[in-house]
Amino acid sequence: MLTAPATFTAREHDPSAAIATLTEMGFEFEPARPVTRTLLDTFDGRVHDAGLRLELRDGGGVELIVSGPGAVPAHLSVDSVPRFAADLPPGPLRARLAAIVEVRALLPVVRVTATQARATLRDRAAKAVAIATVHDAVRVDGRGAIDDPPWMIEIDELPGYAKRAAEARDALERIGLIRLDGDTLDVAAATAGVALGGFSSSPTVPLDPAMPAVDGFRAVLANLADTIVANWQGTAEQVDPEFLHDLRIAVRRTRTVVAQGKNVLPPAIVANARERFGWLGALTGPARDLDVYLIEWNGYTATLGADAMTALEPVRLLLERRRESACSTLTEALRSTEATEWMSTWGAWLREAPRDDDARGVHADRRLGAVVAKRVARAQANLVERGRLIRPESPAEQVHDLRKDAKKLRYLLECFASLLPKALRKTYVRRLKAFQDNLGEHQDAEVHTAMLRAISRELHDLGASADTMLAIGQLTERLDQRRIAERAEFTHRFAAYDTAATRRDLDAALDGLT
Amino acid sequence: MKTLATYSIKGGVGKTTTAVNLAYEAARAGARVLLWDLDPQGAATFCFRVKPLVRGGVERLIGDRRALATNVHATDHAGLHIVPADFSLRHLDLQLDDTKQPTRRLATLLDELADQYDVAILDCPPGITLTSESVFTAVDALLVPTVPTTLSKRTLDQLSAFLAEFRTDQPGLPVVMPFASMVDRRKKLQRELVTGLVEQTPGFLPTVIPNASAVEMMGVQRAPVAVYAPASPAALAFRQLWTDVAARLWD
Repeated sequence: MLTAPATFTAREHDPSAAIATLTEMGFEFEPARPVTRTLLDTFDGRVHDAGLRLELRDGGGVELIVSGPGAVPAHLSVDSVPRFAADLPPGPLRARLAAIVEVRALLPVVRVTATQARATLRDRAAKAVAIATVHDAVRVDGRGAIDDPPWMIEIDELPGYAKRAAEARDALERIGLIRLDGDTLDVAAATAGVALGGFSSSPTVPLDPAMPAVDGFRAVLANLADTIVANWQGTAEQVDPEFLHDLRIAVRRTRTVVAQGKNVLPPAIVANARERFGWLGALTGPARDLDVYLIEWNGYTATLGADAMTALEPVRLLLERRRESACSTLTEALRSTEATEWMSTWGAWLREAPRDDDARGVHADRRLGAVVAKRVARAQANLVERGRLIRPESPAEQVHDLRKDAKKLRYLLECFASLLPKALRKTYVRRLKAFQDNLGEHQDAEVHTAMLRAISRELHDLGASADTMLAIGQLTERLDQRRIAERAEFTHRFAAYDTAATRRDLDAALDGLT
Repeated sequence: MKTLATYSIKGGVGKTTTAVNLAYEAARAGARVLLWDLDPQGAATFCFRVKPLVRGGVERLIGDRRALATNVHATDHAGLHIVPADFSLRHLDLQLDDTKQPTRRLATLLDELADQYDVAILDCPPGITLTSESVFTAVDALLVPTVPTTLSKRTLDQLSAFLAEFRTDQPGLPVVMPFASMVDRRKKLQRELVTGLVEQTPGFLPTVIPNASAVEMMGVQRAPVAVYAPASPAALAFRQLWTDVAARLWD
């Protein structure tokens, strides 16, 4: 385990006494130079959640540094700021980062500039045995200079040479320096009030089963509106596919909660919101379908072999062009007056105090717990009833409708999660998710096969090569096999879900609400 | 963590030179690297200016699972740590023989640090010994520096034959990556031999490490070539060698 750097400061306005102490110990100082450190993370803070820090350090050369408590830091010289993990050269750093951030873009979280003077203590073989770095004139972009603490000194302990760093730390403490929590970047960010975690698109609303239903529904919808707004710009600017994913899910959750809010929320609001969010949801569909297709593309085609992958390149390019076109349409819609005014109106309604009785649903004042329990039980009953009707020969639309029912139930459970016991909710949701995964895989294969057939006709008319047409045939067959396999799996997955244990878990979860 | 070894039955073919420079280039390319100097001569240890001292000697290093971690030293290069060698490592074979599963022992010790590093590079002494067998079990790939002479080709064939037999007991281990080392481009025979080796030996890496004065200076500079001669052909060749290895192991 690596020891984190020890950070010190003092009330004095300059670090000269500390520098003199270190110099006396034998530390040799290099000339001070300006260094900019930019913390990068995904919008949802995946690097932070993995317990790591991704830093771009510009102090002459530009380095990307991955570090974490107790971990050996990894350093990579870069010519430009990587936007995605895939922008990095092949190797362990890219592999590590890609596993954490997946398709998400790396965005600047905080940028800290300082004048840094590095000092090295060496042994008789001129080997470095301890490093000290003085950080002065620290500024946080957009927040100004950090004057408390006025400067900081970090002592880096090098593995194998712990004693020398300990001597330096002791010497600084003896002259009255104060030890701080975290390193310079942590201290600067905390002092400037910059939060290092990312934005969570998961519903996180504290709810009380005894509260009036209308207040609970409004709180959930307000939380979802925050998520929509937070992901709006990233979707419009096409920063990465997860902005659209999270926005789309938040819109779908909103539609579910609004629909389930019938008789709780004012009827006029329910009608308007259903129409507007239905419109917004439909807008996000084509771009998201194509995103998923392109994300899955390598997985779909890799098993066909390198020749087929090359032959399928025109298909991938066509999908890419269609995705760009769908995203442009979506961007235009998100920037339209119609969309922005609606979100503004919706936000205003959610923020304003509940109005008088005639504008409220008839069940507005019922206990939230009782209303949610009833809605969840009904959604579960619908799902099971419809699922039992599905036969091997049932049309794909029937399976798709069942998928929507399952999603509605899942969204209800997620949006009102804080009302339900965590352990029971998790057991139950795990079972529902296993069933949903099958429905989702089936739907993706269905949509992607249909899309591929349409593209095949288009490319044929454009005079695509025989190799390309042959490879499309192979891929279509592969996707169709997958669709058939998922459909065959449905009976087992549904049977595993439609059990006494599922009913018992759900009943137990809902018991406490009524 | 991927584990590599610079290994050859022959001595003086550039194992340590490769280990030191490849470890440096790997760290420079963003890997967290642990270089384990297994050669009692401690040349890799010397090149990084680290004191040749194994705490508790080879007995403790091999006998105590936690001893490897306590012997880790930082080098002067970011992301690159070393476990130094000292003269007690001349008893490494005997010490391994005293353990329950001697051919598994190095792998077991490295497992303790697997979360800390992306790459471990073992700089091995020459020969085929119990240590070599333990190395073969521990590593994902053997990097075999091959000097372009007819005798080196014979040594490479001997190694392949031994590993073929070894793999019947330890299937899948390890991948052999030979490459041309200490090549004098001015000599026609060497150029022809290298071409033949690359074309005819499965897995032979295309990068050629030159026999250069910049490499010879490592003992004086006590640093990887790229530190004091970053634009030299040798430094660029070691960088390319790491790119080749990384592409095979991580692509």
